[in-house]
Amino acid sequence: MPPTPDLLTAAQAEFDRALKRNIKGLGYFTTSGPTLGASPKDVLVERGTMRLYHYHPRVDDVYRVPVLLVMATTNRGYIFDMVPGQSLVEFLLDAGFDVFMLDWEAPRPDERRLTLEHYVLDFLPSAVAHVAEETGEPDLSVVGYCFGGVLSLLWAALHPDPLANLVTFTTPVDFSKMEMFQAWADRRFFDVDHLVDTLGNCPGDYLYTAFDMLRPGSRAAGQLRLYDNLHDDEFVRAHRMFDRWGADILPLAGEYFRATTKQLMWENRLLRGSMTVGGRPIDLARVTAPFLHVAAQHDHIVPPAASAPLLDLIGSTDKREMVLKGGHVSLVAGANAKKRLWPNLVVWLGERSQ
Amino acid sequence: MTTNDPAAFFRAMLGEWEKMANTVGGDALRSDEWSRAMHGAQGATLQAQAAWKEASTRALAAANMPSRTEFEQLSARIAGIEESLARIESALGARAPAPPKVRPTRTRKPPEPQG
Repeated sequence: MPPTPDLLTAAQAEFDRALKRNIKGLGYFTTSGPTLGASPKDVLVERGTMRLYHYHPRVDDVYRVPVLLVMATTNRGYIFDMVPGQSLVEFLLDAGFDVFMLDWEAPRPDERRLTLEHYVLDFLPSAVAHVAEETGEPDLSVVGYCFGGVLSLLWAALHPDPLANLVTFTTPVDFSKMEMFQAWADRRFFDVDHLVDTLGNCPGDYLYTAFDMLRPGSRAAGQLRLYDNLHDDEFVRAHRMFDRWGADILPLAGEYFRATTKQLMWENRLLRGSMTVGGRPIDLARVTAPFLHVAAQHDHIVPPAASAPLLDLIGSTDKREMVLKGGHVSLVAGANAKKRLWPNLVVWLGERSQ
Repeated sequence: MTTNDPAAFFRAMLGEWEKMANTVGGDALRSDEWSRAMHGAQGATLQAQAAWKEASTRALAAANMPSRTEFEQLSARIAGIEESLARIESALGARAPAPPKVRPTRTRKPPEPQG
């Protein structure tokens, strides 16, 4: 039987912690937290909502095939490049990859007319062409996160030639399994036309509230946990990084939001095989490059069931799914990602990047 | 395991409360009633916004001032000019290329499996 903790010792420890908490709490409110997304890079494209970055290599000899990270259109790409030592970009650079990222800025009001076609038939092909021009290599590996994965799949189905490898993280293909979003996008109650026609772009605040409501108790619990751990510098640093990223939600271009709501949330066309982009049918069986999908066991945004049919739809013979411990964000960033996802990704890509 | 530490008890309770709030709250937020109420309120807000937008557009036109839509059109035209400039810059850059960057070689092989 473990010894009963000495009440006085426990009280002393709690008192020390409270003292540190108050001292460090002052620091919390007077500083702005770590600088995020600061790995050295060249901005190759800065066009409207589209950004293309090329990170400076950190080794003298890289794999032949470059890697293009494709970020979800709702969030900022610095989730892949938080701070030194906690950056997937840095991890890939150190492992010998030449890394690019397709990232997004908030679409301007006049960009409300951007459609799914602009993303799949213009932004992605333009990014791929710039990577080819910069590296001199005819092919590349594409790594898409969440809806960046959906865009990567749509692009890959229509442009299979330059694709050496395709990796998707937490990428939905069966939208009927995203139960909370399904309930809120229910066409009996949700008039997407009215929203887009009135507001133009779908506001970031609207999306932020939707993400927040997926776990209605977590924000309050997170704030209490932060107060409890104010004495712990590492906890506070991680909290600030993820809290800032989670609140930094981008608006979505109006027509793009309308199209994705109707084609994917309402009609589940990607799973049913009736999806079209620019009038061209999307057949995921046309993706024949090596394919890896990584799902998170406790993902509350894209549950594993929403991505489960993906492997069967893809035409590749070299294809694999990994389900790793973690949630939608902790899968790709933070201390657990560094132990679980990143080493697996480096090994999988390394074997296919010569 | 039992503990006499009230702080540890508070942390355990907080975890339990969070799970319960997510489950119960999630069930409520997934219901038809919630969706109907949420989108009803949103529809009313959008209606009010649309009415306000129309009224302010008329007022701005009467005062001979540009409306938001006209600013957006202007912004789109400036974006078009910026894109043209970028194309011209890149065409000029191609004629007088910058000194080549120091690039890594591209012959890396994956490490040999251990054992």
